Amino acid sequence: MRRFRSLVRSATLEALAEPLSAVLFLVALIAVPLLPAFHCHQFGEAGRLPRECGFSALLVFGIVFATASAVRVIGGELSSGTAAAALARDVSRPLFFCAKVIGVLVAFALFSVAVGLSTVASVATAEMGEVQERLGYAHVWLPGLVSMVVLTLAGFALAAVLNRFFRMRFCVTACLSVSGAQVIALALVAAGAKVPMQWSLLPALAALAAGCGVFVVLAGALAVRLPPAAVTTGISLAALSSFVWPVRAILPDIQMFWLVDSFSYGGAPAVGQLASAFAVGALLSAFWLAVGSILLERREIP
Amino acid sequence: MSNVPAIEIKGLRKTFRDFWLRPVAEAVRGIDLTVEKGDVFGLLGPNGSGKSTTIKLLLGLLAPSAGTVRLFGMPPRTRAARSRLGYLPELSYLHPFLTARETLLYYAGLSGMGGKAAKARCAELLEQVGLSAVANRAVGGFSKGMARRVALAAALVAKPELLVLDEPTSGLDPIGTRDVKDLIRSLARDGVTVLMTSHLLGDTEDVCTKIAILSKGQVAAFGRTDELLTRKQDARFTIAGLDEEQAKAFAAEASARFGREVQFDHPRVPLEEFFAETVGEGR
Repeated sequence: MRRFRSLVRSATLEALAEPLSAVLFLVALIAVPLLPAFHCHQFGEAGRLPRECGFSALLVFGIVFATASAVRVIGGELSSGTAAAALARDVSRPLFFCAKVIGVLVAFALFSVAVGLSTVASVATAEMGEVQERLGYAHVWLPGLVSMVVLTLAGFALAAVLNRFFRMRFCVTACLSVSGAQVIALALVAAGAKVPMQWSLLPALAALAAGCGVFVVLAGALAVRLPPAAVTTGISLAALSSFVWPVRAILPDIQMFWLVDSFSYGGAPAVGQLASAFAVGALLSAFWLAVGSILLERREIP
Repeated sequence: MSNVPAIEIKGLRKTFRDFWLRPVAEAVRGIDLTVEKGDVFGLLGPNGSGKSTTIKLLLGLLAPSAGTVRLFGMPPRTRAARSRLGYLPELSYLHPFLTARETLLYYAGLSGMGGKAAKARCAELLEQVGLSAVANRAVGGFSKGMARRVALAAALVAKPELLVLDEPTSGLDPIGTRDVKDLIRSLARDGVTVLMTSHLLGDTEDVCTKIAILSKGQVAAFGRTDELLTRKQDARFTIAGLDEEQAKAFAAEASARFGREVQFDHPRVPLEEFFAETVGEGR
């Protein structure tokens, strides 16, 4: 268990220590709250555009984050030699692969939670903006918007200060502190907004994260044998063609995890939809975990 | 079981193949070697002679094309064999974002160590390799020599019975090199078996009790270092307190007595020793 913990911890740190991770956290967590301020059409629903923006941010940035992190942690370790140094010890190859992938999934879960909380706060901010508009004010609810953007930037500032004075890793600290900032921002929005919070968004976002999680495992499995460019291309093609049979039998069909349409006009996804999304995500992840473990078991490590 | 050698290699061959399984290079061509427990064994050879491939076959990272490898009587891919092994790669492969202390704790964790025992062992090793002062700095910013020390400490973290060192003194300054050689001798005294490769033949000669020289994937020479290097047909004397004139007279007398040419010179301090005396201990 100690071996597993050490590998998971190092993989999580490695995924978050990558500058691209901090950039993706920043871009996603600034884009989601700012959308209510710039939207030109509400489609009859104030919360629709920020809601769909949150889901899109999780899907697009999530797949980039998942692929880049898995390729770096699995493929990078194999090519740099750190995997050889670890596998020369009393560590089995399936344990190494599974622990590294789970470490990346932990980092991806942090990203998903941060985007999820930001989406819930952003939807409430947009709906509160609509309330203000009816009362004759501007359509933007400034306290909510400012608290979300400023707290996200403050998270980065805190990471810079901790790096400057305590030598803490900037990118890792930034990812953690901006995620923490989303909790505070959501609490402030929930306390100030006089609209009901859409907590039911969170399970639907978690289902989408489960779909993206399959891509983490898939990218890790491919990275055992293929160079980074081939893995990135493969994942992109897989995501694009995942609705085509027989590809959808082994890859996540994104439509199955994309439950945002259920929220239109006050709706919510059915429990059965959520359950099947999680079940398919878990099954496909297990399948690719097994494939990756077998590939690593059979691979020579020069 | 106690008589089982630490390493036993029989008829080992390794052919690298390309994507279409066509043979590309035959790196190892039938090696037979035995390393007994407690040996400090040097594996020497020019670039491309098969040293690193042999080590990776030993570690189970590569699969042999033919022949067998046994570590303590067990195949190298078994966890029981690898749990007794420490490995220092040719390049100090480290996670650049981890500090020196975290790196050692990571490798301690991979060896199943944890808690206070792991922390104490890591602190002891950081002290031993002279990196206690920079234990909390990320290794990505370390010099090559400092990274080498961290990698060496990582190889030692689980107190291995067999230590495989690929170019252990690569990147180290003369004092660091001397420290590593002292460490290898000290480990050997404690019963640890050491297999090392090095391009620095002087370092190998200093510490290795046995050597094998590889050439084109085969063993060209193998045996005890003393036996291979000593020329028993010649003799050399060192006489303290003899000036130039006295030495010449002694040489002339010896030449007349044995009917052979007698040469003499004055002993030199090894450069490594002179360097260490000049710069002090260096840290």
